[in-house]
Amino acid sequence: MRASLFITCYNDTLFPETGRAVVRLLERLGVELEFNPQQTCCGQMHANTGFRREAFAQAKRFIRLYRDAETVVAPSSSCVAMMRDQYPGLIEELGDDALRKEFEALLPRVYELSELLVDQLGVEDVGSYFPHRVAYHASCHGVRALHLGERPYRLLAKVRGLELVPIPNADRCCGFGGTFSVKNAEVSSAMLAAKLQDVVSTRAEYCTALDNSCLMHLGGALHRQYVGMKTIHLAEILASSEADNERFPVEAIR
Amino acid sequence: MSSVDSNRVVLDPRFAPPFPQGALLVLRNPQLRKNVAHAIDVIQTKRDKLVAEKTDWQALRTAASAVREHVLANLGEYLVQFEERCTAAGGIVHWAADAAEARSVILDLLRQENANEVIKIKTMTSAEIQLNPFLETNGINVFETDLAEIILQLGEEEPSHIVVPALHVNRSQVREIFARRMGLKNLSDDPQELTNAARKYLRQKFLTIPTAIGGANSLIAETGSVAVVESEGNGRMCLTLPRTLITLAGIEKVIPRFQDLEVMLQLLARSATGERMNPYTSLWTGVLPGDGPQKFHVVLLDNGRSSILAKPKQRQTLKCIRCAACMNACPVYRQTGGHAYGSVYPGPIGAILTPQLMNMEHAQSLPFASSLCGACYEVCPVKINIPEVLLELRSQVVNQEREQASRIFDPLYLGLRIANFLFSSAGRFHTAQGLGRIGAHLFTRKDGWIHSLPGVGAKWTQTRDLRGLPPQYFHEWWAARRKEAK
Amino acid sequence: MNTSSRQRILERVRSATGAAAPARIAETYAALPRDYIRQGAMTREACLGRMIERLREYDAEVVETAPEQLLTAIGAQLEASGKRVFVAPEGLPGEWLIPGFDWKVDRGLTTAEIEAAEGVVTAAFCGIADSGTIALHHSPAEGRRVLTLLPDWHLCILRASQVVETLPEYFSRCPKPPALATYISGPSATADIEMTRIKGVHGPRFLHVLLVHDEGIFRVAIRQGLDSESARLTERDDLPALPGTPDEL
Repeated sequence: MRASLFITCYNDTLFPETGRAVVRLLERLGVELEFNPQQTCCGQMHANTGFRREAFAQAKRFIRLYRDAETVVAPSSSCVAMMRDQYPGLIEELGDDALRKEFEALLPRVYELSELLVDQLGVEDVGSYFPHRVAYHASCHGVRALHLGERPYRLLAKVRGLELVPIPNADRCCGFGGTFSVKNAEVSSAMLAAKLQDVVSTRAEYCTALDNSCLMHLGGALHRQYVGMKTIHLAEILASSEADNERFPVEAIR
Repeated sequence: MSSVDSNRVVLDPRFAPPFPQGALLVLRNPQLRKNVAHAIDVIQTKRDKLVAEKTDWQALRTAASAVREHVLANLGEYLVQFEERCTAAGGIVHWAADAAEARSVILDLLRQENANEVIKIKTMTSAEIQLNPFLETNGINVFETDLAEIILQLGEEEPSHIVVPALHVNRSQVREIFARRMGLKNLSDDPQELTNAARKYLRQKFLTIPTAIGGANSLIAETGSVAVVESEGNGRMCLTLPRTLITLAGIEKVIPRFQDLEVMLQLLARSATGERMNPYTSLWTGVLPGDGPQKFHVVLLDNGRSSILAKPKQRQTLKCIRCAACMNACPVYRQTGGHAYGSVYPGPIGAILTPQLMNMEHAQSLPFASSLCGACYEVCPVKINIPEVLLELRSQVVNQEREQASRIFDPLYLGLRIANFLFSSAGRFHTAQGLGRIGAHLFTRKDGWIHSLPGVGAKWTQTRDLRGLPPQYFHEWWAARRKEAK
Repeated sequence: MNTSSRQRILERVRSATGAAAPARIAETYAALPRDYIRQGAMTREACLGRMIERLREYDAEVVETAPEQLLTAIGAQLEASGKRVFVAPEGLPGEWLIPGFDWKVDRGLTTAEIEAAEGVVTAAFCGIADSGTIALHHSPAEGRRVLTLLPDWHLCILRASQVVETLPEYFSRCPKPPALATYISGPSATADIEMTRIKGVHGPRFLHVLLVHDEGIFRVAIRQGLDSESARLTERDDLPALPGTPDEL
């Protein structure tokens, strides 16, 4: 399989290790990866903040960049949700028939990482080793927009050495919400505080998720409060193997 | 110090503080937050259990959504049908284009009856048009009869939820209000005793006041009937004992046929209070000789609804059956309660309904009072895609604001404009990332994290650290790897 | 003034939606998706068992009786209530007015007279097992609405043949939409104070249901737990056996 990696603007800038893990993981599974260096952003931040004009521009750009890709994979539920939930409306409004056709042909070929692994590659055991106690945070876009369901859990279940602990009130939003975290910072922090109680109660060493956006928010507070729990994108857990753990013990990477 | 927050809450969207400010007042009130979270958790647990047991829940939602969409698409015909049938059965139907007209119609009807007191069933629509203060100013004593509404009225409080309006008040606060206003010195805070006090307080009023004002859960076009759903029995009292009944209802309350209640009633109580059915549902048609009020008026209220109807992306807002499932599921509401929204309609539905009823001239902060988690849409019995409407309203607010001079240098507006500029070219994006690295250096501490940022960034760092920019961006790493491979 | 508001509103509404012809509206209405459960699948025993269970969940008292024992059962209920003054709807079967009590038959009782009564006895139109709901259509045997509102104690005589499983079944039972209806699911309650369900705000605090087994099924066995998928796990031994009645459950 050939897949084009859409790293997402914030992963490229803030979480390159997630990208490196995606590459390591998918190449290990025999996927031939491409990376279009022209990529920037899917437009979600603008669309969600009410800047539709700008979001149009980014959506158009994304479609043009990837229209010839066989498969697109993105390690971010919210970005894929943007494309499935909001792009259709944006494209419709633009009234460009050719663009719409391109988009409709492209969309079925865009996958969030866990979808690619479980649905397209048909694997659950990706050869991972991660001997730690881990709590999985199910981000809202993953649960309600992409209906990922059991996929991440099935992947986690096959990670050797990993002890998965459920987070109470798992379906409740962490409070990030994109620009909401800044426009309504106090409420976002109140929601974060409630979420932290649930996450910390698991006594996990790591909190993982399929979205670094949520993890940035959770991790930022965990770090501020010296909690002693780290955040890590699921791709990095899946990419870890015995070899890595010997040569690159996870603690040393950060 | 009164037992409830002494900051006078303003639920008028024209004057209420923007949501972030309204929320801040509440966030510093542990009692209120606890009351809200407790109430929400109780309802949600009950609701979830009942929904899980209802194997055709999703089919009911689909049907309800379809029925409501169908009514809205044909609202004119169904309203006319309702009016015809209700009138034929002895009811008198009035039409009020806006809140002022509705208030004045109701006042005129009361004057015609020489009524200087009325008993009232809880109806959020009457709060929407600010009926009570208007009637009081015009010399009419209004007696709320819903326990929650009594608590609010006597405690001079504002509603914070559309089904359980006093959920932000706990039992000792209720005790204090009743003891003070009903003159009951030895009242305990046992809810049973408090309820008995309310029962006694109201009994004589029910039996003697001949005029009542209430609302409607559904107006049935096929028959001209009205359905009211309640728990306490005060509704039945107000609907059957007085001589004159005035029902105020938004025009969107219509459903096509009596039989459609088979769908709506299965969804409503489970969503609203976590019960399979609420204790009492009353259905009546016009005037029934010998049974109940012999004068019956319906006041149909537009007040902005027809404008919402006209907007394809926003029309779904009117499907709402006022069950409050959305606010019960909302993680934002759970933290802030209803007052923060500055409207009688709080929570997710309030965030979309309130600004629309205000023609987008007020309450512009409400569409942003959401993390877009989608929990509301998941539980809405009529499948209102609240996140979709929130996004639409956000773009309307931004379009209104972006040309204003004050916004040109607004950090968020500026930041997003700049981001878009950068995102439209990889070269620009990468250059900016390079420059960012230099800037971030100033704020990054030895542990590689940023603990404090200025300006808009401070909103993040007031409660969260931010990891510093990495030594190599992903696209740089990929490019370097590629080069190595060659 | 009001007619012009009517006109303005309808104009705005119609221009917002367009105006379809009535035949078209009826067509689209008929085509609306209704894939929810219309007809229940429980056996009669299970259905009756669920009705009883759900009524009890809402603090209504339920007693079962055979048709031949009805008058005795009514008498026993009235006796056990400790009350004397009862109102009765005008159309209540005469024999149900058990002697020894002070009956006020509603041939135009004043509110004060009804308020002074201690209890009321009525028939019903239908019972809906899924939610433990009693539907009153206020026929002559069910009485004016005020009769089941003011007295503190309400005895409702419900025939087994009137009990359906689902709410849609109730609707299909209505020969036409009732002009008046009251659906009662337990005594009045409020959850307005800290979400604690408190009984008896207004409306009768005590609801008693006499379930008359006119379908020949007697002594429905009820399981103590809340899942009444099959309502036949424990035999109740507190009901009198009838001579010659097949104990076939």
